[in-house]
Amino acid sequence: MPWYSVLTVVAIAVVVAAELLWIRSGIFRRRAYWLAVGICALFQIPVDGWLTKLSSVIVIYNPEVFSGLRIFWDSPIEDWGFGFALMTLALALWVRQDPDEATDDRPALVDAAADRSRP
Amino acid sequence: MRVEQFQYLIVMALCLIVTLPLEFVLHARVYRRPRRLLRALLPTFAAFVVWDVAAIRLGHWTFSPEFTTGWRIGNIPVEELTFFVVIPLCALLSYEAVGNVLRLGWIGTLRAGSLGRFLPPAPGPDPRAEQRTDDRELV
Repeated sequence: MPWYSVLTVVAIAVVVAAELLWIRSGIFRRRAYWLAVGICALFQIPVDGWLTKLSSVIVIYNPEVFSGLRIFWDSPIEDWGFGFALMTLALALWVRQDPDEATDDRPALVDAAADRSRP
Repeated sequence: MRVEQFQYLIVMALCLIVTLPLEFVLHARVYRRPRRLLRALLPTFAAFVVWDVAAIRLGHWTFSPEFTTGWRIGNIPVEELTFFVVIPLCALLSYEAVGNVLRLGWIGTLRAGSLGRFLPPAPGPDPRAEQRTDDRELV
């Protein structure tokens, strides 16, 4: 059973649902969030690659629990889902504490209007 | 102990070193807001440690004794504990740095950062002043 694949999808769903229903930081509407996550996903290639490269592997994945899709330096593709969930949760909890703070180029008035329209 | 056993920890240390300039040069101010940082990191850390403990117990992944210290808390290697702090930290520093560049531009961000004192003064209003006022005043 590809448990790592299943749990990765579940983790992404749980984190996205937590942000939309409970944390409500509004990060998914911010360009800075998507750019930062994209940049981190790129830097994940060497970092994750170093930990998972099969020539001298540090973190050893049980081949039965993931898709078997290894990209770049043998990193399971699920790792990017894991990283997305990990970073998104931390960012949502960080931004929630000061959601009005202007951390991107979006006019503050737009964000404020969106905030007021929330239940 | 051999040096190779610190490989995982060294990778984590490199992540911190590479992202450290974001805090100062690009004015991310993540480490300088420690309470807010803790409130973001602690629940994230807890949630992912639960996943990691379960995955290790169920044999989803194991760790090379050759490249890890072997130091563990329960069944979880200390390297994994550092991972769940370091990676979110990198994400927060990136987010704040990217946000500054989007909002203030590269020059404005560099001026606001710790190297700003070495740059010639801004022709327009001081970006530091803009930062202090914050867009909340618009609301």
